[in-house]
Formats: sequence, C-alpha cells, structure tokens
Amino acid sequence: MTEIVTSQTPPILHGPSEKERKYDRQLRLWAASGQAALESANILLVNSGAGTVGIETLKNLVLPGIGRFAIYDDTVVTEADLGVNFFLDDACLGKSRSQSLTALLLELNPEVEGAWYPNTEATTLAALLTTSPTFTAIVYTYPIQQEHLSALAEYGEKHKTPLFAVHSAGFNSYFKISLPGAFPIVDTHPDETATTDLRLLAPWPELVSFAKDMTKDIGNLNHFEHGHLPCVVILLHYLDQWRETHGGSYPSTYKEKTEFRRIVQNAARTDNPEGGEENFDEAVAAVLKTVVSPPLPSGLREVFEYKRNIPAEQRSGFWIIVDAVEQFYAKHKCLPLPGSVPDMKAQSKVYVQLQNIYKSKARQDAGEVLQIVHATADGQQIDPAEVELFCKNAAFVKLINATGGDSSARISSSDRLKLVVDQELENDENAEAMMMPLSLLPIYLALQATSHVASASEDDILAEVAKVVPGANQIEKIVSAAKEVARAEGGELHNVAALTGGMVAQEMIKIITKQYIPIDNTCIFDGINSRCQVLRL
Amino acid sequence: MASAEVYPASEPARWKYLDNIRTRAGPLTNPDIFDGQVVAQNMENMKILVIGAGGLGCEILKNLALSGFKDIHVIDMDTIDISNLNRQFLFRQSDVGSFKAEVAARFVERRVKGVKITPYNCKIQDFDEDFYMQFQLVVCGLDSIEARRWINAMLVNMVDEEAVDSYKPLIDGGTEGFKGQARVIFPTVTSCIECQLDMHAPRAAVPLCTLASIPRQPEHCIEWAHVIAWDKEKPFPKLDNDDPEHITWLYQKALTRAQEFKISGVTYSLTQGVVKNIIPAIAATNSVIAAACCNEAFKIASNCAPCLGMPGENNYMMYSGNDSIYTYTFQHEKKDDCPVCGNLARELVIENPEWTLRELVDSFAVRPEAQLKKPSIRSESKTLYMQSPASLEEQTRPNLDKTLKELGLTDGQEIGVTDPAFATVSFKFKLKFKQAAA
Amino acid sequence: MLKIWSMKKEQQKAENAEGAAGGKKKKVTAAQLRVQKDLSELSLGNTMKTEFPDPDDILSFILYVEPDEGMYKDGKFSFTFNITPSFPHEPPKVQCREKIYHPNIDLEGKVCLNILREDWKPVLNLNAVIVGLQFLFLEPNASDPLNKEAAEDLRANREGFKRNVKISMSGGTVKGETFDDVRRPR
Repeated sequence: MTEIVTSQTPPILHGPSEKERKYDRQLRLWAASGQAALESANILLVNSGAGTVGIETLKNLVLPGIGRFAIYDDTVVTEADLGVNFFLDDACLGKSRSQSLTALLLELNPEVEGAWYPNTEATTLAALLTTSPTFTAIVYTYPIQQEHLSALAEYGEKHKTPLFAVHSAGFNSYFKISLPGAFPIVDTHPDETATTDLRLLAPWPELVSFAKDMTKDIGNLNHFEHGHLPCVVILLHYLDQWRETHGGSYPSTYKEKTEFRRIVQNAARTDNPEGGEENFDEAVAAVLKTVVSPPLPSGLREVFEYKRNIPAEQRSGFWIIVDAVEQFYAKHKCLPLPGSVPDMKAQSKVYVQLQNIYKSKARQDAGEVLQIVHATADGQQIDPAEVELFCKNAAFVKLINATGGDSSARISSSDRLKLVVDQELENDENAEAMMMPLSLLPIYLALQATSHVASASEDDILAEVAKVVPGANQIEKIVSAAKEVARAEGGELHNVAALTGGMVAQEMIKIITKQYIPIDNTCIFDGINSRCQVLRL
Repeated sequence: MASAEVYPASEPARWKYLDNIRTRAGPLTNPDIFDGQVVAQNMENMKILVIGAGGLGCEILKNLALSGFKDIHVIDMDTIDISNLNRQFLFRQSDVGSFKAEVAARFVERRVKGVKITPYNCKIQDFDEDFYMQFQLVVCGLDSIEARRWINAMLVNMVDEEAVDSYKPLIDGGTEGFKGQARVIFPTVTSCIECQLDMHAPRAAVPLCTLASIPRQPEHCIEWAHVIAWDKEKPFPKLDNDDPEHITWLYQKALTRAQEFKISGVTYSLTQGVVKNIIPAIAATNSVIAAACCNEAFKIASNCAPCLGMPGENNYMMYSGNDSIYTYTFQHEKKDDCPVCGNLARELVIENPEWTLRELVDSFAVRPEAQLKKPSIRSESKTLYMQSPASLEEQTRPNLDKTLKELGLTDGQEIGVTDPAFATVSFKFKLKFKQAAA
Repeated sequence: MLKIWSMKKEQQKAENAEGAAGGKKKKVTAAQLRVQKDLSELSLGNTMKTEFPDPDDILSFILYVEPDEGMYKDGKFSFTFNITPSFPHEPPKVQCREKIYHPNIDLEGKVCLNILREDWKPVLNLNAVIVGLQFLFLEPNASDPLNKEAAEDLRANREGFKRNVKISMSGGTVKGETFDDVRRPR
C-alpha cells in the first residue's frame, strides 16, 4: 500500500504523497490495490541466450515498483552483449552478467530490491529454487538448458507459480504463459462503452415509484421540467404505457423496439425554444441497448460451468462467491445490480436521487449474496469488499486457462500443437478471401525448434519442425520462417527484444495485480509485418 | 566517400547480432534495394531526429542507439517532473527540474559508446525548414496532437518532387494506458497525420450550462472550478497546472461545489487528472510502442526487411493490451481532400516582379486550373487582399495598387488563395519570379 | 522505399546552400487557409460587422452584433474571436466584451452555445458560429443557463424579464448587479 509521507513539504489538503506523485500515471490504471500487489511481488528471471528480452521485461517491472527481483544468469559479459543490452556498459566486460545487470537495473528505482545468481550462497539454479523465498512469477528466456527447464516446470507445479517462457531472435519472438490452474479475474476493467445493466425491464418498487412520481402529470410539466426528466425515467414511463396496451408484455422483438423507439421520439416536445429535447434524444438512443433483459454474459457462463476438481479451487473465496452469485441468478433471473448510473441530462438533485436508488439496490443485492456466502462452509472469512467487487463486475468476470482442474482430461501439449497447426494451416488457405492476415504459427514453430541450441541452420530448424509438421520443408511459410530465424543465429535485435519485453511485462502486471485480462496463453510477434497473434497452445 | 570500405564499419564483435540481420538478406528482403556491404556505413552516416524525450522518447533514444544509428538529435522543451520517473528510465530523482533532452542525451551517450546525441531544449516550432532538411528520418514520441500536426505539415511541405532527399519518412508513436499505436508516414506518398486525425478521439466536452447550473458528476464540479470559478475569482494571476497550490485551490472549489450538490467523488487526484487531462502511462506500453517505431526506422534505414508504409501496404499498427493482446496492422488510406498533403503548393510564375497586387488578382481569373473571379489572397504573415468581410476588404484595398515587391513578396514565397465560388477547396501557390527581383 | 539515402548527400548539401540564400519562407498553415476561406464566405447582413485590430492577424478579430428585432433590439454587442492553430479541430474561442443580462452569457462574458464547445465539428465554419450568436439575442434560452438569475426571471415572467433587459441595456442595475450601457447611438 502507498504510504503517506508527511515530512518536508507542508502537506496540502489531501494532497498526494511523494510516492503517489511518482506513481501517479500508473495508479490511474491499477489503483492502490494493484500497486500493493506489485510491491509485494518477487520475480525471478532465468536469463540465457543473447539475454536482452528478459532484462527489458524486468526494466518495465522495476520502474513501476515491484518488491524485488532475482536474476539467474551464469554467463559473463561479452562484447556482443554491449551491442544489444542497454543495462550493461564497457566496465562490465568479463564480469558476471547477472551481477552487472542487477546493479544497473537497481539504479532505476530505489524502492526495489534485487539479487543475482549464481553466487556463493546458491551456485546452481536448483539451489536457488530450494533456498529462496517463494517467487510470485518466473520469467525464463530461450535458448535454455533442458535441465533448467525441467527444474522450473517442477517448481511452477509445486508452488503454483506462473511461468513466462520468452524467445526473441532477429525479427521474431513469442512468449507463452503457463498458469498453475484456472485463473479468474474480477477486476477486468471493461471498456467504458460496455453497457451497465439498468434493469429497465425488471424495475424494483423504489425505482418504479420514483419514476411514476416524476411522470404522473407528464403532459402538464413545464418545458424546463419536461426537458430535464432523466432518460431512465422517460423509458420507464413509456415502457409502462406500452405494457398497458400490449397485454402486460414489454417490447421484445426488433420490430417492437423500433416501434417503441418511435413512440418515445414522438413524445419529445418541439414547441420549446430549442425545438427538441436532449433528454428524449438520449432516451431514444438508449432504447436498443438498455431495453433488454441482459442474457448471462459468456464470460460468466464459462465461470459457472467450469468443472472444479482441485480442492484448493473449491475452497477459494472466488469460487465460493461464484456459487453464491449463481444461486442469486437462479433465484432472481438476473445478476446482482452493478449500481452505477451513466451520466444523463437531468437536474442535479434528481440525478443524485436516481443514483442513490441504484446504489442502495446494488448494496441490497450484494448483501444478499454475502448472506449466501456466509452460510457456506469456509464462507465466513470472506471479505465483504470482495463480494461487493464481484457483484459490481459480475457481468465482466473472466476465466483464463480454463482447462478444467482434472489434469488427466487435459490433452497433451504436443497433441494440442498438432491440432492448432492443422487448423491454422487450413485457415491460411482461406485467409486472402476472408481478408484475414496469415497465421504466425510458423514463426513459433521455427523459434521453438531452437529452444535448446544457441543457433541453427535453416535445415536444422526444418528438420526439427518436421517432427510436429510432417513435410514442413514443403510449406513455403514455414521455410520462410526457418530462414528468418536462421539468419539471426540466435542473436536478438534490440527493438524486437524491447517490444517483446514490453508485452511480457504488461502480462505479468495483469497477472500480479489480477486486473485487466491476460493472454491465453501464447503471443507470437512478427517484426517484419509488425503484428501479433495470440493462440492457445 | 569510398564505398569499398569493409563492413561492419566498426567493432564487429560488439554489433554481431545486429550485423547478422542487417548485412545479410532474409527471405523477405527486397534484393533490388538491399546492399549488405554498405548498410552499417550508411546507418552510421545518417542523421536521425527524435522529437520528444519523455516516456516514448527515452525508449526511442535507447533503441536507436542499439540499432546502429550514431548521429541522433533530440528535441524536447520540457523539464523532468517526479511523475515521469515511473517510466522515463533515463531520469533519476536528482534530475527533477533539468531538461529532458539534455539529461537523456548525456545518459545514452555515456551508456552506448560511439553514439553522438545532440539535445535541443526547445520547441519544434523554434526550427525552420533548413534545420529539418538535415535529417534523413524523424521519429516522434509526443503526447500533443498539435505538435504532431505541426511537424507533419512541415515535412509534407518540405517535399520537393525533384529532390529525392527532401522526402523525410516520419515515424510516430503514441500510448494511452495499455494501448498505443505506431505508424509510418512517407510524406505525400502515404496518408499523413492530418489524414489520420479521425484516429484520435476528441476529448468529450460537457456543455458550459451543465457546469454552471446542473452538475451531476465530480468531473462537472472540477471543470466548473477550472473554467468558471477561476476566471471569476482569479486567485492567482495565471493558472499553472503544475503548481500544487493552484490545483489545491481548484480542488477545494470543486469539493465545496460537489458538497453543495451532494455529488461524491471529487479528489485531489481526479482534479489534477481533469485539469491537466492526464493520460495514464506505463513503462511496458512505452517499451512496446517505441520499439515498434524504432524497428520501422531500422528497416527503413537498412532495407534488410520490408517496412510499413510502402505504397499499397500497411502503414499503421494499433496495439491494445487491455483484454488479451490485440494488434491491428492496416493501411490507412490517404485522403485526397487532406488540407495538408492533399493541398500542396503549385508553382505560380510571376512574369514581372513589378506587377501590382491588382494585376496578380486579375491574373487568377484567367488561370486554366481554376478561374477565380473573386480571389482573396494571404501570405503566412500578411493579409494581402480579402474580398470580404467588408472591414478587411477596406483595410487591404490599398495593397492592390502596390507592387508585389513593395508588399515584400519575393521568389519562393507561398500564398494562400480562396474564392467563395470554390466552397470546398482553397489553393496554395509558390511564387516563382521570372526575373529575380534586384 | 526508394534508395533515399546513399550517395545523394553531397548534392543535397549544395542545394541547401543555394536555397538558404533566399532566406526563410514561412508556409501558409492549414488553419490560416481555413480561416481565410471561412472569412471570405461570411454573410454578415446588416446586423453584424467585423473589426480586425491587425488585418495581418486574421486569427483574432471582433464581431459586432446589432439585433434589429427581439428583446435585445437597439443594443450593440461585441465578441472577441480567438482562433488557435488547431482550428478547425478546435472551436474558436468567443467571449462577449460587455457585461450583459442574458441567460446564456455570464457576467464574465462566457457564452453557452453548443457549437462553441460540446457540439463543435471541423465541418462547421465561422458563419455557423455567428448565426448561433445572433440567434441567442432573438431567442434567449432559459433551459440550461449560465446566468441563473436571468434564466429564472425569463422562466417565471417573460414580461418582467423584458423589462430587466431594457434596464440592463441602458446601464442600469438588476437585482443588485450593474450592467454595461450597450444602447447604440441613434
């Protein structure tokens, strides 16, 4: 949590602390809660190869203030490092690469701690992994020794640590995230244009009486009052009228809704000085979006339907709340009310009243969910704030890596890759006709073929790829990708490493803060055409 | 210059990885324009201009220095603020208050041996065409649309079809939160920043009357304090968005107003955000976008792989990291009616510099490309003759009998000509005097 | 893209040296050209006129409005127009120079006209703005005011409001606020 610094400058009324000022531009993205999560994160980088992409990733994490990092890198600094890595200089030549990098990275932010390995305390990666405090997340870069890879995979499995594998060579790169299990996100920061549920087709008594009261004499309101009816109230009034003339049902088909929209449009006054009414314009524009009973959003449905098999998952706060919300939904046929009201033309006082009606209903719904939660085994300890946050974001909750907890049901990763290859190659045949860009999977295949070697020829690469894709050397795009990867001879281009490091850092921030939506699970970058593709591999 | 020089020009061991790529053709390299033997040398001789030494600028300088460019220039008028330190990694706490361009240039020069970086602590508008003509490439990392449009117009107007060196590719990056874009502009060839203005969503404005009489949101209260209360009470001679005392004044005003209307949510941070129009910014996104820009600069300079912005190809990359990662790389089409690149100055031959302005005005009526019966004429700094409104016509009428020379018009001068008969177009002409005025 | 770089340097230097002799020539900006066009298309009629303190600076001028009908008839009102280099992507900044009693113009001269703020679009021109200003004097709008007192008067009692307009325009005091005399000499 950000601390309040009270020394030095005279405190301005609720002015920001020194630290809040330094982190201002990022606090606006992930708030104090996200910052607190970052500040308690402990990140391990296992660095190998040309060694830039991992450091560029760390740079982007040290700057926003992760708690601490460690670099494992058993090479010494060479001349070639200085042409590609910004966090090394001439004075570092011949010294331990991890030590040199750590020193220059630590200059970026005095609030971050850093350590380098191997050192006398831990001479091997295995020793580091057994002696260190648990890592929040681990990044490793290719090419990597098979032995290191296995040690990291084992660690990730054991400690439920997210692993980020990154490979950057020449103009190409990819990275892949391995999460320990299904990864839910509540605070997904949906787009501002995403509609909030106003529940116009299922209004509750307080809202109904508020709207009725304002519109009971709608024909005789003066121009000012009529022109300041909030659009929510306008819609509720005419929906009520509609029901009276339509046997109690709401407009539901597209045709009925356009008809309803016309009714609202015609109800606007035009004999006033402005010759129209903005609030009615707003109401008309809102008809198609808000006069609906929102269906269960696909993201949340996926959460409801997800089969939990790991006991740890079953007991976690998130899943207990999910069950409670599911019960709520079954009972009320709607989600807990989010409680926010978009800005709309209205008098200040009326708008604030309307806001309060929505807020108190949202509190009531969240209270009901909390009750269900509390009645569940293990539900007592759950923070009401967590329940409230879930209820507010319920429509946008998202589950990543939803493989199902049962590992035996999981398809092996090599089988999965074969499936995706077939699919991508098939898609490419129609890509031109569909105006779709070509698959970047060949880049992944070519890079993956060099996962454990410093450099490889085009033929080496194609031979390796052929193990997954028979006849790879006959497929033009794969041959082209192999040529491009071979050209790099395992070397990085700084730009591509920096770009990839930026993307990896964004993803790590999303996973550490549990905000925004991370990729699921592999991102491939093509630096010649300047574009990415995300695939689940 | 001797072209038989061996590659790479210097320090082969250091630039091994870079040379792997830039000195050898790849599968997509265009062999007609690629010559691996001279790439390193050419890049070392190139002068490249970076505009902005902020979040993107720091990354751009680092990236270019590690891409083989040796003569880099950087313009930024700003000084370092504490809120820069979460991403502008060339700056430290002790640099707060110093010029960004200066500190950034020194840092990268120290770190990457053999790179020369020339800082200019001033505005881009302080320089003229002669200054910009010396560079071969311009990379922009700016937060202001106005500055982007200015440099864009400058580079488009500099194009001389006769001189291939007058084409200066412009690479522009921008970020907001987890999102950003990188684009390549070949002035007059591809769509330009002015053509692409619709890609920037304008800031939504709230009606003044809402602020004055029916505020509903905390932002309305803050804007009221900013736009109305400040002007009325003038607590300080001039509003300085960076002065905490000024922001505190606005904050308190906004807070009082919010309480009056029972509106919640006015905070110091929100006040600052609204008043300064703060855009969230993080190191990671800058890293992505700056590198996408510099990757294009590298490809343009080396020809070792196709770049964005080739005629008929993609020129614009959009990046979004809010929900998974999504890039959209596409071709933004040039606009024929673009006021900058769709309206280049045509040459106008002046037979006799002793012509009066009236003779010039009359000559437009018989010009074949546009018969302008009622032309109004201005140069950049002088209103020569306006047919209307009446008061301007009256004020500029005496100019009609003056000679072009008397009015200060010389060879190469640009004039703008409008005529109500041509409602949708206006014309720009570059004067070409037949006999150079003595 | 072309082989822009390689050997052309020397040639370019020579050309630069030649060009430099002519001195710096500033280019006509897009904003200036647009304002020039808008000005040449203004239709002011006989109730409006412009004044340019510096005819070479067409980005700032004064507009006089003299309504010949409505409640503000016989007044003479003036507005400063300031146009930024971002025109037409930003609206012109317009302010009333006199202190007047009007629901949509506050005592500091700020004008509440939708196209000067939230509804401005680059396709609108200066003519649209002056038409809007003219309209404000014919149809003052009480619905969402800048000057709340004036708006309340207009809503509550149109005749009383008209009287207040008359008083204010002759430099009188309305509800404790003294206004500028804006009567035009006959």
